[in-house]
Amino acid sequence: MAQEIERTVKTRLGSLAVDMNRVIRFPRGIIGFEDCKEFTLLQLKEDSPFLILQSMTRPDLGLMVADPYTFLPDYNVKIGSAEQKILKLDNIRQIAILVTVTIPPGRPEETSLNLMGPIIVNSRSRVGLQVPQVDTKYPNRFLVSDRENEAAEALNEIQDAGSGKLAGSEVGAAAK
Amino acid sequence: MLILTRRPGESIYLGDDIKLTVLSVQGKQIKVGLDVPDDMPVYREEVYLRVQEQNKLALQLTDQDLLAATQLWHKK
Repeated sequence: MAQEIERTVKTRLGSLAVDMNRVIRFPRGIIGFEDCKEFTLLQLKEDSPFLILQSMTRPDLGLMVADPYTFLPDYNVKIGSAEQKILKLDNIRQIAILVTVTIPPGRPEETSLNLMGPIIVNSRSRVGLQVPQVDTKYPNRFLVSDRENEAAEALNEIQDAGSGKLAGSEVGAAAK
Repeated sequence: MLILTRRPGESIYLGDDIKLTVLSVQGKQIKVGLDVPDDMPVYREEVYLRVQEQNKLALQLTDQDLLAATQLWHKK
């Protein structure tokens, strides 16, 4: 029987052909969107830590996510036994961690990472789960600019440079 | 909402496989024990609601802001 290799999906970045090997199954959806079980990661730009976690079925459901380790090398996530079971985790090296990103409208220099609800992906079995964190030593939100101060400068350059190109789909960060 | 009165040590079953036990009451704090299937995550409401809110915020960005942020922050 022939297997589906690629599927054309309407995304918030337009219609894209998604390699079925890059589909991540979320058995519990993500919080607030429990009915969406299949997502893929779209890379925005080769050297960018940001990705879009795109629903395979809802074009408008594309959340901005980031690799937190680019900004917070010591970010730590607790995964309970129930979560480990859902993720089919037997080796901690199988996981990739993403966090959702908030950009206040018109103020990209105030981009922040939401550290309370990391999205864990078992990169081997391609199962994903959002795992809310309690008793974390991290702030609820982490301002990306706390790491760098050249934000204002870079922003000016961007406004001069105009729009860039969006790359095709890509599954993000390898296991940490 | 279904309202039941329980004393410390007493339990309630939700269906066959979820058991909620009131362990102790001290002033305004109530300690609750939960026996749930081992693949059922349990969340505190305020954490759950905040994550839900943040997920919605991660959706509400314009393409322009998305592009700007992408160009603003690079991997080191």
